Amino acid sequence: MEPLANGNSTVATATTASPTATSLPSLHAGVPSSKLSQLTDSLKLEHQFLRVPFEHYKKTIRANHRAVEKEVSAVMSGLSDAADLSQDDAVQHLNSLVSRLQGLKRKLEDGSRAEHLQAQRCRARLDHLESADADNISEWNNTRLKRILVDYMLRMSYYDTATKLAETSSIQDLVDIEIFYEAKKVIDALQNKEVAPALAWCAENKSRLKKAKSKFEFQLRLQEFIELVRSDNNVRAVMYARKYLAPWAATYMKELQKVFATLAFTSNTGCEIYKVLFEPKQWDYLMDQFKQEFCRLYGMTMEPLLNIYLQAGLSALKTPFCYEDDCTKEDPLSQESFRKLAMPLPFSKQHHSKLVCYITKDLMDTENPPLVLPNGYVYSTKALEEMATNNNGKITCPRTGLVYNYTEVTKAYIS
Amino acid sequence: MDLNNIKDAFDRVTKKQKVSSSKSQEVIEQMSQEIEQALSGIQSATNSTSPQPDHNLILTELKAKLKEIAPLGQLEGTQKELNLALSKYIKLLEKHFNPDISRSYRNVDFDLHTVNQIIASHFYREGMFDIGDCFVNEAHEESVVDRKTHFLEMYQILESMKSRDLGPALKWATTNHEKLQQSGSDIELKLHRLQFMEILQHGRRDEALKYARAYFSPFANQHLPEIQKLMACLLWAGKIESSPYSELLSPTHWAKLAHELAQQFCNLLGESYQSPLSITIAAGVQGLPTLLKLMNVMTGKKHEWQSMKQLPVPIDIDQEFQFHSIFVCPVSRDQASEENPPMLMSCGHVLCKQSITKLSKNNSTRPFKCPYCPTEVEVGQCRRLYF
Repeated sequence: MEPLANGNSTVATATTASPTATSLPSLHAGVPSSKLSQLTDSLKLEHQFLRVPFEHYKKTIRANHRAVEKEVSAVMSGLSDAADLSQDDAVQHLNSLVSRLQGLKRKLEDGSRAEHLQAQRCRARLDHLESADADNISEWNNTRLKRILVDYMLRMSYYDTATKLAETSSIQDLVDIEIFYEAKKVIDALQNKEVAPALAWCAENKSRLKKAKSKFEFQLRLQEFIELVRSDNNVRAVMYARKYLAPWAATYMKELQKVFATLAFTSNTGCEIYKVLFEPKQWDYLMDQFKQEFCRLYGMTMEPLLNIYLQAGLSALKTPFCYEDDCTKEDPLSQESFRKLAMPLPFSKQHHSKLVCYITKDLMDTENPPLVLPNGYVYSTKALEEMATNNNGKITCPRTGLVYNYTEVTKAYIS
Repeated sequence: MDLNNIKDAFDRVTKKQKVSSSKSQEVIEQMSQEIEQALSGIQSATNSTSPQPDHNLILTELKAKLKEIAPLGQLEGTQKELNLALSKYIKLLEKHFNPDISRSYRNVDFDLHTVNQIIASHFYREGMFDIGDCFVNEAHEESVVDRKTHFLEMYQILESMKSRDLGPALKWATTNHEKLQQSGSDIELKLHRLQFMEILQHGRRDEALKYARAYFSPFANQHLPEIQKLMACLLWAGKIESSPYSELLSPTHWAKLAHELAQQFCNLLGESYQSPLSITIAAGVQGLPTLLKLMNVMTGKKHEWQSMKQLPVPIDIDQEFQFHSIFVCPVSRDQASEENPPMLMSCGHVLCKQSITKLSKNNSTRPFKCPYCPTEVEVGQCRRLYF
């Protein structure tokens, strides 16, 4: 008899497929390719992980270079200014230039050390990404969760927990605690209604903020102006505006005019538009604004990584069945807290049936096809076979308590 | 993932950085030397009596020399190359990785308090008690602390089991005897069995017999063969290694039982065995790439995305995250629900109720052909399925 054409072709493809599978690098032998592409896809999410330390490294390089440029040009101009000096003055002047250059040399050495450390950190991250493979994946995933949690702690200003978690798990090189301490100074100050550290930070990152068209500095200046108006320092407020607000007029005229009108309305105004400008929540707004600018500058996501992954995970897991009373405890969405977070998120979608055996929790597929009891309840072949062998061919439906003979079950075909 | 070209690009950056910083050093060195030379020139001029070059002349020469060195120009060259390498690396990162994984983020405020409670519970259930405490203090989520005590007990039991002390485990099992039986768990007997074997292994047969009498009898109804086997072990007290029951001594029993105990412990607490946070994040890592790809086609439809009730595409995640049976009607592609349940046709194929109604043209006695096989089916013969 001729074998069925269909069966034949599947055998043929299976045999031709296997040599290519075995010719893959031996490193990944035995690991299904879907697992590998899944791993690659998940590694592609790690942009921030490599970017942040690199931005830090770049920043240090730039700062060091700027210091060198500044000092060198200072020495050069110091030299060209030196004309018609007495001999003693000339000697003294040259000596001061030499010691200035020596100071710069020492500074350069310190700077190089810092650069080196940061380069090492960047490299450690690359190595960590490279180390992820099928053998250590569960441990690697564990570390990733910890990294995500440290990121959350840092963004929420839970610095102690962040440090402790990083230390006990020895992942200091894989998280950005140092960088966030830079932000902490500014945030703490804004919390105390001080703008100076924030302004200093703006000055430090002037060119990049300008490039990103940031208006954060302008907002800080507005707030300082408001504070002057609040304390009835109108003259100083006007002076301040001339000096610090006027340069922004071209881009933000409307806001400038509005804030300037507070001079007329003063801090105890009842007029809504101006009243809000005096409210303390403006400081919270500045704090949020700073966090955003800070994240942008370092190439971080605006949201904590935890929130991003939680949302994606909840959407992937969310089904109408999660909200039923008999939802299994193993489903995170059986918990009130997770349900609450998932509320505004979309349900997942399936194009194909995915059936899980109520008894064994195994997938019911062609290997383990679903069987139907006379009462319409469906269980996997494996589960019912085992039950039948242990109970002389009798099957008890675990959800209804009804007892049947194994011979009474029928097959269901799910496509 | 192949990171080699990224690593190469990074090596280029560090190389350029080293060149640049040694250039800076060299330039500074050069300048210092010239100035020092000029200095010594002036100073030697004061000491010697020979015709002296004017110190101003030396200064002018120095100026000219330094101008010739053009330190800033020299620095500029290497810096330019370094800058190039830096921006190249960043471009490479953006190309090989997803530069913004928050693109598919819905702008909904996650309740801070809820998220913090989830995190605190995660720390406690993973046995990270110190970190949990630290977090609870820092985030002011004191109400979570009572969850700690439960898990603290579990970790103490597991710790003792590691040092082969079953005392706390047995105590827990005895206290929760009823509940364990209700959930159909035989872990109590398993614990007693392990203890029994432990006694027997040390050759204390009388003691083992006493133990068996005291603790096995309540299980005789359901686990008679198991108990008979254990009693037979008494014959080989002290030399079980060479008995047919040597398998019972395998240390894997300890590890397995510890695992099962943790499972049962969580079960009695009404908790999942694995941290729900770990599960959700792991599912998120698998699902996010698909969502990000989806955003590529959703550009310009940001608003639509924010209000969508169901994802437009399926997300392929591992089977371990499949907690519910989802039946998708092969005809209508709808997911089955209470209103539109899956129905088994007489031929064994399954469709959703609505599809069957459509196929039968709403006529319950008129037979229709199954879309998947030649069988003629009648609506009246279709049965609802419960997965």
